[in-house]
Amino acid sequence: MNYMPGTASLIQDIDKKHLVLLRDGRTLIGYLRSIDQFANLVLHQTVERIHVGKKYGDIPRGIFVVRGENVVLLGEIDLEKESDTPLQQVSIEEILEEQRVEQQAKHESEKLKVQALKERGLSIPRADTLDEY
Amino acid sequence: MDLLGDHEENLAERLTKMVIDNELEDPAIMQAVQTRLPVQHPGGLNSSIWDGSAVLRRIRGPLLTQEMPSVSVLDYALPQRPPQARDEERDLSERALPRRSSSPVIGSPPVRAVPIGTPPKQAAMPNFNQQILCPKPVHIRAPIQQRYPAPYSERMSPNQLCSVPHGRMSPSQFARISGLVSSPLPSMNPKLLQGRVGQMVSPASGFRAFFGAPPPPAPPSAQQQHPPCPGSHLQNLRSQPQMFRPDTTHLHPQHRRLLHQRQQQNRNQHRNLNGSAGDRGGHRNSHQEQMQKDSYANLMLQREKDWVSKIQMMQLQSTDPYLDDYYYQNYFQKLEKISATEEMHGDGPKKERTKLITPQVAKLEHAYKPVQFEGSLGKLTVSSVNNPRKMIDAVVTSRSEDDETKEKQVRDKRRQTLVTIEKTYSLLLDVEDYERRYLLSLEGERPALMEERKQKICDMYDNLRGKMPSQDRPSDDHFVQIMCIRKGKRLVARILPFLSTEQAADILMATARNLPFLIKKDAQDEVLPCLLRPFSHVLYHLPLGTVTSLLQQLANLPHNATALAPANLHLSAVLQNKVLELILFHLAGVSSQTELMLMATRELLRIPQAALAKPVSTPYNLLTLFSRYVDQQKLNFIGPLSSGLGVLLPLVAPCNSLLYQREGKGGCTVTVRITVHLCK
Repeated sequence: MNYMPGTASLIQDIDKKHLVLLRDGRTLIGYLRSIDQFANLVLHQTVERIHVGKKYGDIPRGIFVVRGENVVLLGEIDLEKESDTPLQQVSIEEILEEQRVEQQAKHESEKLKVQALKERGLSIPRADTLDEY
Repeated sequence: MDLLGDHEENLAERLTKMVIDNELEDPAIMQAVQTRLPVQHPGGLNSSIWDGSAVLRRIRGPLLTQEMPSVSVLDYALPQRPPQARDEERDLSERALPRRSSSPVIGSPPVRAVPIGTPPKQAAMPNFNQQILCPKPVHIRAPIQQRYPAPYSERMSPNQLCSVPHGRMSPSQFARISGLVSSPLPSMNPKLLQGRVGQMVSPASGFRAFFGAPPPPAPPSAQQQHPPCPGSHLQNLRSQPQMFRPDTTHLHPQHRRLLHQRQQQNRNQHRNLNGSAGDRGGHRNSHQEQMQKDSYANLMLQREKDWVSKIQMMQLQSTDPYLDDYYYQNYFQKLEKISATEEMHGDGPKKERTKLITPQVAKLEHAYKPVQFEGSLGKLTVSSVNNPRKMIDAVVTSRSEDDETKEKQVRDKRRQTLVTIEKTYSLLLDVEDYERRYLLSLEGERPALMEERKQKICDMYDNLRGKMPSQDRPSDDHFVQIMCIRKGKRLVARILPFLSTEQAADILMATARNLPFLIKKDAQDEVLPCLLRPFSHVLYHLPLGTVTSLLQQLANLPHNATALAPANLHLSAVLQNKVLELILFHLAGVSSQTELMLMATRELLRIPQAALAKPVSTPYNLLTLFSRYVDQQKLNFIGPLSSGLGVLLPLVAPCNSLLYQREGKGGCTVTVRITVHLCK
């Protein structure tokens, strides 16, 4: 039952399992229970999934109310296909450790890059320090 | 003596009156209160602020903004309550707080006790029932302008409606809240709905002016497929040149109909689901199962989903879909045309395309008047959504010529050209739109439209060629500047069909004169080929003399093509080649002037073989012409031909293949004859 052809609406997605990517990089998986005109979401039985390489870990979070402007994208999860994934689930501690290691490595390489550029007299402003508008 | 300065028995009366808030809406009651105003307490405290009507009005201040839905400017301005207005003037200077502008349309958005984003607490049904109960004839300002039921956001939420004290409501308040009742969708019964679809065009004249075509005769089935009816609205509403804001606070009847139908279907579905027999599809069963397992399902009620849908649908309303939603409307028209042509071929309707309904709503004229108070000095600076404040005082300073350096001048010139291109593009879009406007306009307006169109075409041409009037347009400079920019070339390609023959020829000549330069400049853009089609079209309509001069122009051009870097060689050569071919084939189609043909052929042969591309368009009588040519001027012709034998054969081949498709043996013999000649 298509409400309005040619448009996108979240009404069809209600009560289905969704993966939501937020602007700060978090990935949430939960059942979409309610929406409003700003695409604020209410997620039920939410799990925050952290991906590092081929591994992932789930942190159960409960009920989330997400403000619409912070959503990058969201998509419905096919429950049948959900299980056949090449990724390997690990425990929370392990994945957090992996994440920390990854962040550190990234930070190091970033530092090196900035250093190299500085030596050459260039400076690239970091994206998060730029103004949004 | 109490602080209120009133007699005690009156105080008790007033207090009881304060409780029954709703009745204060009624002017009759208000007047009654005022006539019983006590004598002001002489001297001492200025207690006039506590006078009866003022007290009561102040106390119900916040509620006022809710309960008085000003549905239209006219309503607000109607002198329904002159006594109140007069009172306010008197009291304003003594009040602590100035009275807020409560018009939702003019001025700041009103303060709301229940924020606008609140979904309805109770079912929306009671609301609609009330609409039937109390039909109020509505004053419609003009046949075109619409009155809709009270804007959703301004309506009292059903919760409040239902919790009216004592269950009473004064009829005037009732009617004002439910607003225009000509919304003809009271019932929720699907059968009634179907029966009433024919009556969809409301008795109120305002609606009839809006709906041009009758609503779809057969009510849409459960598939929710709505036949697109974009034209019906357009026929009745003409877009006005002024900036009018759309009245988007009300839901368009079409959309409301959609919503109700959906509600119907949902109810039917739920009813069916509950009594589902085993013959329902497996999908339905699994769906039901899933619903049973998921005990948290349907936390969001259907009513709430509809509410969100309603908001989304309201956002689709616009005053002029062709302005706001140009690409979708045009795209859908193209699709319809395609399906119409397919249908004509006897295949039957391919697929029904459901169009998103973007209904046209009336425009309301808004003249924002900031809130002013009598006797105050200065104006309030209120910046709101409807009246944004000017933030920056930007002043345009014109530069003097002396200060600029050479680079700046060059940059300015380029910028000037860019501006010209943009202006001409606007004109072009307008001109292209005239066809549609023509269809929508009345008979009397059409000559004026045609005049406008002609004027715009002239303006476009002037823009292209450089409006410096005076002499004979000695400089192509302006035009060449435009042609150096990618957008300019596309612009010229689009304008050419609209120009008259001489104007188009003029453009062609200018292009031909500067062709090498343009080719060089086009190396990066590679957009010149887009001009070929319109150029060829123009060529077909040109008189022979013009073509001759054009050809001479091309022939006299210094052959910069070979001087260019090898990378560009192919493209530029192809270009020149194509232009020459165009002319050649055109000549062939028109006449058989031998010298010209010779010249053209020679030019053609000068181009290296690798660059010889497929001709743009091949007239079928080319070979017959060649053969005639050969007979007449054997010697002259064979000379250059023999040198370019290898070159010409590829040229013949495509012509040949074409001929095979069209005429059987005739073409064959001609080919044979030519090859025979060539071999000699």
